[in-house]
Formats: sequence, C-alpha cells, structure tokens
Amino acid sequence: MANIKDLKKKIKSTKGTLKITSAMKLVSAAKLAKAQLAITSSRPYANELESSIKTISALVQNYSHPYLEETDNKRCVVLVVSSNKGLCAGFNSQLVKEVRNWVGKTDLDPKLYFIGKKVMDVIADEVNVGKKYEFEKADPSFQEITEVGNELAEMFKTGEIGKVFVAYNIFNSAISFTPTIKQLLPMSLDEETKTAVKDEFPFDFKYEPAPADILNELIPQAFVTTLYTSVLDSAAAEHGSRMSAMDSASSNCKEAVRSLSIKMNKLRQAAITTELIEVVSGAESLNG
Amino acid sequence: MSNHYTVDVLTPSRVLVKDLPAESLLVPTESGQINVLENHTHIVTKLTTGQLSVFGSADDPDRFFTITSGVCKVLNDKVVILTQVSEENHEIDLDRAKLSLENAERMLSSESMTDEEVQKYQRKVDRSKLRIQMAGLAKSKK
Repeated sequence: MANIKDLKKKIKSTKGTLKITSAMKLVSAAKLAKAQLAITSSRPYANELESSIKTISALVQNYSHPYLEETDNKRCVVLVVSSNKGLCAGFNSQLVKEVRNWVGKTDLDPKLYFIGKKVMDVIADEVNVGKKYEFEKADPSFQEITEVGNELAEMFKTGEIGKVFVAYNIFNSAISFTPTIKQLLPMSLDEETKTAVKDEFPFDFKYEPAPADILNELIPQAFVTTLYTSVLDSAAAEHGSRMSAMDSASSNCKEAVRSLSIKMNKLRQAAITTELIEVVSGAESLNG
Repeated sequence: MSNHYTVDVLTPSRVLVKDLPAESLLVPTESGQINVLENHTHIVTKLTTGQLSVFGSADDPDRFFTITSGVCKVLNDKVVILTQVSEENHEIDLDRAKLSLENAERMLSSESMTDEEVQKYQRKVDRSKLRIQMAGLAKSKK
C-alpha cells in the first residue's frame, strides 16, 4: 500500500504535467486559429480552379496537356504530408494506417516522399523511401511548395513516374480530420464526369485567348495550388488534433489529481484514527 | 437598375470578396478591358495586371481591386475572378508601392540583364504604378 509521502509526490508531478498539457492546448488553439484561417481562405480558390479546369477541359475538343495524359507507367510517387512533432493523438498513426493499406492493395510501384518526419519514422522500413523535404520554418511557404511541385511535375513529364499522389489529413473541424490519398497527376477525367459536365453545360464558353492557352496556364497552377492546400489542410488538422488531445490529457490529469488526493486524505485519516485509538486504549489500560 | 451579378474575387491566400452584388464590371483582360453588363455571354478570359472595377447599383458602393495575372469566368449571373495577387484600393500600402517602383526602375536602368529579368522587373513596375494610381483614387474619394 502506498504511503502518504509517495502519494504527495505523485500528485505534485501530475500537477506539473497538467500545467504542460494545458499550456500546449492554448498554444495549439492559437496556431489552429491561424491555420484554419489559411485553409478556409485558400480552399475556395483551389476548388474554383479545379472545377474550371474540369469544365473547360471536358468541353474543349482535341486538347491535351502533359498533365492530363494517362500513362501505363507503374511507377508512382506518393507525397506523404505529416507532422514533425508528436503528441497529436491519431493524427499521424491514422495516416500511417491509410498509407499502409493503400500500399498493400495497389498494383502500382510506389515510392514515398515525405513532408514531416513522423509518418516516415514509423513506415520507413516497410516501403520504398524516396526523399524527405525540409523547410526553413515549421510551415512551408507557397514558394517552397512550388519548388516541391515542380520537382514532382518534372519527374512526371520526363516519364520517370506515371502518377503522383498526395497522402494527407483533410481538416474537417477542430476535432475531426480524415486521412486520405488523392491523385494529383495526371488530372484525367473519366468519361462519366465528362458527360456530366457536358450535360450541365449545353453551351460552350467564349474563350479569350484560345482555350488551350488558358488551360496551359491554369493546369500547372492548379497542380501546385492543390498541393499547397493539402499542406495547409494537414497543418490545420495537426493543430486541431493536438488541441483536442491536450484537452483530454488535461482533463485526465485533473481527474488523476482528484482521485490521488482522495486516496491520500483517506490514508491520512486512517493514520490519525489509528493513533487516536492507540492513545485512548493506552489511557484505558492505565485507568483499568 | 438592379444588380445582375454576384462577384467572387479569389486568390490562393485569401478570399477578397464573396457574392458581392454588382450591376456591371470592368475587367482588365489580356486583349484589353472588357465591360461586363447584363446578359453577358459566358466567357472565360485571361487577366492582366490592371484595375478591376465592380459597380454596384443604387445602395451598393462601387469597389476597386488590383489584379495581376489570372482568369475571369462569367457564367449566368456569377462572375469569378481567380488571380494570384489582389487587393482592394483602400488596403494599398502607398509607401511600399513607391519604394518597390523605385527599386524596380533602378534595376531596369542597370545593364547586363537577361530578358527574363527585364520582363520580371517590367511587371513589377507595372504593378507598382497601378497600386500608386489606385491608392491615389482611394484618397481623392475620401
């Protein structure tokens, strides 16, 4: 049975942990607010760009761009976006699970590239690791992501790889995210979507200049923008996940402190009672 | 007169306006400025550095934005402007624009530049001039 001294020590250290977790929660909340703003202001642009390309490339006849071409090259790259720091609940482990499943099932020959080290640390022995990108700050800038995108696009264009995927956590809300793997290149449309778009737009747009010129400019932009939004998504999801993890850690700490205090008080009371009984029975025996 | 369009101005880093009601617009495109009035045809066009003017009807104020490269899509009663960088006229930092104009002009006057660099700085000059002009516009209105 634990004695009072041990319990006191335990309570003190739990209180220390509580301080750390609640501080981390506050920090994550502040970072989340920033990351959330970034992703919510960037999503409309990315979505609009994507849907414009879908519409235009479905409506325009006889257009092709290297980014739209399907190839039968089995080699592909999966860019896995995770975090550099832990203590964020299932954020990294769920992504690991998703990637592992995907790699197990696919008939492609994937090579994994990484942003953030946590997923890589777990999965490096099981898969073909390409390389890991490092950035100056914790959150990569648009410029840096553009460079990453250009490198991957170059590999795609030279035919070294046939597909580019990105694996990341989609930010839904502060307490929820969805791990997902999305194909970036080629941005090909299947016949079904093409007919759907054609049904939706029985007329064609007027283009200035020619639609090919517009698409030539938009398609590379869309690739980089999608890549960038997935990094933003991942950052927001990370902070959200860490915030809720730290929130539950804080309440667990509080609960532990409470139950330890009760235990300690009981022990103390028991000790006092025993002492009293000894004093009383000693006095009784003298009287007797 | 009433508002015929709702306008979105979007950039990769922020949403400038969403569903802004407008009666007509002046859009700077590569082949010159176009005026989007009621019942405009569906059009997709490339934008160039310039001023985007959104004219509201009676109660809605007119609004002005700087635009760099991008595209504009007019579909039914919806106008979507996708651009790399954009700001509304009252947000422009005049001092910064003047400074970057000076820098860019100094770079242009120096020799030994590749064609690409000349183009880059020429675009910078264009942007700065546009900003200075539009900042002036915002002030004179106040």
